[in-house]
Amino acid sequence: MIRTENLTKVYNGKKAVDSLNLEIAEGDIFGFLGPNGAGKSTTILMLVGMIEPTEGKCFINDIEVARNPLKIKEIIGYLPEDVGFYGNMTAEQNLDYFARFYAMDTTERKKRIEELLELVQLDGVSQKVGGYSRGMMQRLGLAHALLNDPEVLFLDEPTANLDPEGVFQYRELVKQLSDEGKTIFISSHILSEVSKVCNTIGIISKGRLIARGTLEELKKEFGRVGAENQKIIVETVEPLPEIEHEDIISAEYSETERKVIIEAKSDIRDYISSRLFEKGVRVKEMRMEEPTLEDVFMSVYRR
Amino acid sequence: MEVKGLFNVARKEFIDHLTSRKFIIILGLFLIISAIAVHQGIDDYNDMLEDYKEQMSHIKEVEGPEGPVKWMPEKPSILLIFRRMSWQITMLGGILAIAMGFDLISREKESRSLKSLLSHPIFRDEIINGKALGGILALVFAIGIALIISFAMLLLFSIVPDLDEFTRITLFGVVSVLFLLSYFSIALMTSTVSRDSGSSLIYALIILFAFSFFMPTFENVVVESVVGEPPEFPGVHHVHIIGAPSASENESEGPAIKPIEPVPIEEEEWKRYEEESNAYWEKRSAIHDAISVVVPNDNFQAVTEAILNPHFEGLRYGVRYEPPTTEGEEKSLREALEIVWKNILALIVFPLVFFALAYVKFMRLDIR
Repeated sequence: MIRTENLTKVYNGKKAVDSLNLEIAEGDIFGFLGPNGAGKSTTILMLVGMIEPTEGKCFINDIEVARNPLKIKEIIGYLPEDVGFYGNMTAEQNLDYFARFYAMDTTERKKRIEELLELVQLDGVSQKVGGYSRGMMQRLGLAHALLNDPEVLFLDEPTANLDPEGVFQYRELVKQLSDEGKTIFISSHILSEVSKVCNTIGIISKGRLIARGTLEELKKEFGRVGAENQKIIVETVEPLPEIEHEDIISAEYSETERKVIIEAKSDIRDYISSRLFEKGVRVKEMRMEEPTLEDVFMSVYRR
Repeated sequence: MEVKGLFNVARKEFIDHLTSRKFIIILGLFLIISAIAVHQGIDDYNDMLEDYKEQMSHIKEVEGPEGPVKWMPEKPSILLIFRRMSWQITMLGGILAIAMGFDLISREKESRSLKSLLSHPIFRDEIINGKALGGILALVFAIGIALIISFAMLLLFSIVPDLDEFTRITLFGVVSVLFLLSYFSIALMTSTVSRDSGSSLIYALIILFAFSFFMPTFENVVVESVVGEPPEFPGVHHVHIIGAPSASENESEGPAIKPIEPVPIEEEEWKRYEEESNAYWEKRSAIHDAISVVVPNDNFQAVTEAILNPHFEGLRYGVRYEPPTTEGEEKSLREALEIVWKNILALIVFPLVFFALAYVKFMRLDIR
């Protein structure tokens, strides 16, 4: 659905995006991660046809963006970072202005705008956009990005400025859109947000894609880089017996002796469960501590 | 370029202008001042009409056995009413046009709405052209309203223009729009090159004041320094000689001043003076014309003078704001416009140049 080939953008002799090769399948929710200034927004601007690449190409639905920017804009929706609107107009008037660029008649436009305003909970707000809070503006931005019922949606820092309720609604909306078969490209530096909604992730640093895969793949590949030991957390109903194994490096018992965090050279959960069974200790919980996306990101980024 | 997006942008811009507080305030002020100017013009016209009627009745009285009197007074033209209005347009119109254009692009950059706009299927040239078209329509609306009010006032005072006058007044409206477009395009250009609307307004006002106040002074300085002083008049008509007081005169009264007879001017000397003088004034006029052709105010004054003064002979020797002459034969509109074709061309080219600059800059605008 989305494909880039050696996509490069140079600003004042400096590469903001450097030979980016990316492929995102139809229906994917792709999280584009990277620190500020990594080249995320520049990549999106090239993908939505707002700036031309210095080198390389990008395609959406096999249509080359730089050659057919208008065709691309017909099938995509874009929520820019710090989205802006006309302050002298209401949300409805703003959306109506933008909707006129598409082949929609008056009835269609009106119906679509009503639906979208209801979706982002701005229906019935009669004040002009100039008086909106940043959160309201962001919600209107989401409605604006969905105006043409796009096949591909680009969201640049979508949860910035949203309150917790807004963030929850946004997640629900993304899931709903994904269920409808839309491809969603989310650029963010808020890792928890990406991990909650995205099924594939790409990490960009200094304009280059340095990691790509599902969250599980990335955890497997990068989650234990520089952390060879395993952390096993065990919680029991009765007090824990002493657990001894040659691979155990350390064991940290809680004051009640009903919880222990074991650091071991290998996964010794089988051994622990047998030992506890032998001693008649009932297990409440036993799990290996998973690397978070933060761990993966930092691990990749530090390489 | 597609026209659907262009018309959508133009429609929005036109409505924005008409509902903008600054536009309404300046237009209101402009209309009030124009209406006052037209009212004063009507008073002047009525006074001149009274004089004309008096002169006509006097002529009838003095017509004797030797036949009719050869000299006839001229009926005043209602076009003179609009001369005052043209001055108001020069002064306030420029400010109105700048107020309309100075933040057209910079405001979009500041509010980040430009990125939102460009994410939809629209080319950049449709945006800048649409903004220009919306502005032109708003300017046409402003001038149209001013002219409609003027016509209404004329009819209220039972003054009905004939076809030629109506054509000239309509043409005056067209030229006024062209003049306002000059400053609108300057403001659009500063709005495109400036980082923010504040800077854009300052740059546009600097240009407005440069054309209104600096250029006239600059023109005179250049003309004076290039052509120098006019040739000296040959001979002296009345010379006073200051002599020593005679014995009979009271010393306290000072030296005696005796007038002497004028010195006769030889024909050859006079002819030479005439030639030198003509060459001097022609050179002066040519330099002035060359400079003033880049000043929209000068072009507007020249063209409106040609349209509204049926006896227009051209702005002679670069002397600005000449009073309307009633001497000479009446010129047809076409003849008058032929005299000021350079100024008309300049009024068309000037906004095009600034619009082209704005266009090029906007097409290359970094929208990160």
